[in-house]
Amino acid sequence: MDVAISTLLSPIILFFVLGMGAALLRSQMTVPEAFAKGLAIYLMMAIGLKGGVEMSKNPLTLEVGLVLLAGVVLSFVIPAISFALLRLTSKLDRTDAAATAAHYGSISIVTFVAATEAVRLSGLDSSGHLVAVAALMETPAIITALVLAGRAGRSEDPVAGSERGELVREVLLNASVVVLVGALIIGWIAGEEGTAPISPFFTGLFQGVLCLFLLDMGLSAGRGLRQGWRQLDAATVGFGLYMPLVSAALAGALCYLLGMGVGDTALLITLSASASYIAVPAAMRLALPKARPSIYLTLSLGVTFPFNVTIGIPVYIYLATLLNG
Amino acid sequence: MHDRKRIELIIERMAYKRACRVLETSGVTGYTVLPALAGFGGGNRWQRDTDMSASRDMVMIITIADEARTTAALESLEDLLGDHIGVVSVSDVEVLRPERF
Repeated sequence: MDVAISTLLSPIILFFVLGMGAALLRSQMTVPEAFAKGLAIYLMMAIGLKGGVEMSKNPLTLEVGLVLLAGVVLSFVIPAISFALLRLTSKLDRTDAAATAAHYGSISIVTFVAATEAVRLSGLDSSGHLVAVAALMETPAIITALVLAGRAGRSEDPVAGSERGELVREVLLNASVVVLVGALIIGWIAGEEGTAPISPFFTGLFQGVLCLFLLDMGLSAGRGLRQGWRQLDAATVGFGLYMPLVSAALAGALCYLLGMGVGDTALLITLSASASYIAVPAAMRLALPKARPSIYLTLSLGVTFPFNVTIGIPVYIYLATLLNG
Repeated sequence: MHDRKRIELIIERMAYKRACRVLETSGVTGYTVLPALAGFGGGNRWQRDTDMSASRDMVMIITIADEARTTAALESLEDLLGDHIGVVSVSDVEVLRPERF
């Protein structure tokens, strides 16, 4: 309970609530687009570097390999479960359900960053390779979604003007993957000593930048919800709230089987429970253009992200604590 | 002055490169892409930079071409707009230097 209260009352979450409240009340406040993108790059560099430095301290073991594999498997499997639940409970057609499912199999790096801070504030340890897991979990869900939508391998009727390899480029070389994986490798190569000169910039300012970024995310989530809520029925909104818990239960079971520590378990659960709103929406506009962004983006950004950041993360930390006895 | 056609295409930002390729393949000699701030369509309001994916942003592409190239471009743009969010319109314009279009 203490963890839940301290997480909910941390400045990071309170700034998010401020942004979301302001947007829902139709405030004209905005964070300039280019500035917000700069903040996102900073956060991904910081989290990538930190993960890389942590990884450089420990050799890659079979256990680490299994955790990486678990992340990939979860990212492949969760969209299939999401798709089945959406088709069963909502009125979404095959394309909309597949596109939405892709978001839930992929991850939200900001939710992961917020969870990392919550885990740290709870006095729990986590290892750096979870950043690599985050990077690996970005894309498999997109492949599952294309299979579910029946578009995998289809090339006989390409969209006019489409170019060979454009989707692969968008999926594998989007800004979040390049910066996150790049910073992870740089941190791994440079190690703690090598990154010491730049450490004050990436660690000292981290929490303040995260507050600024979450203020912007709150504004985005509130505006997305305000603009798109008419497109969502009760069953779809319900999915946005219960699916993170379904994914969390699945990931928790896998973490238990792998004997992972409390901090790592909390983070892998958070990654599985989070839904993408940067990389996957962009990929879906290219791969499944007939799917409606007003549904999948409103659900992921306007419903699941606020749920995870405020209620989900404390629940996932509690679940991780329970699983570790 | 000389008669030409002006194509105005408003399309989702993620697909604008596809639209540009369509125009280039049709033989148009140039085009300009402009960002759109906000709008309303399909029962939804949208606004630039609502989210970081930019997947709800729209852009406007303007090009001027002769009749043959305009017809060729419109055929492919019709296919493109069958999949992507957008609208296209054509209007008659007059240009000073016809050899450029």
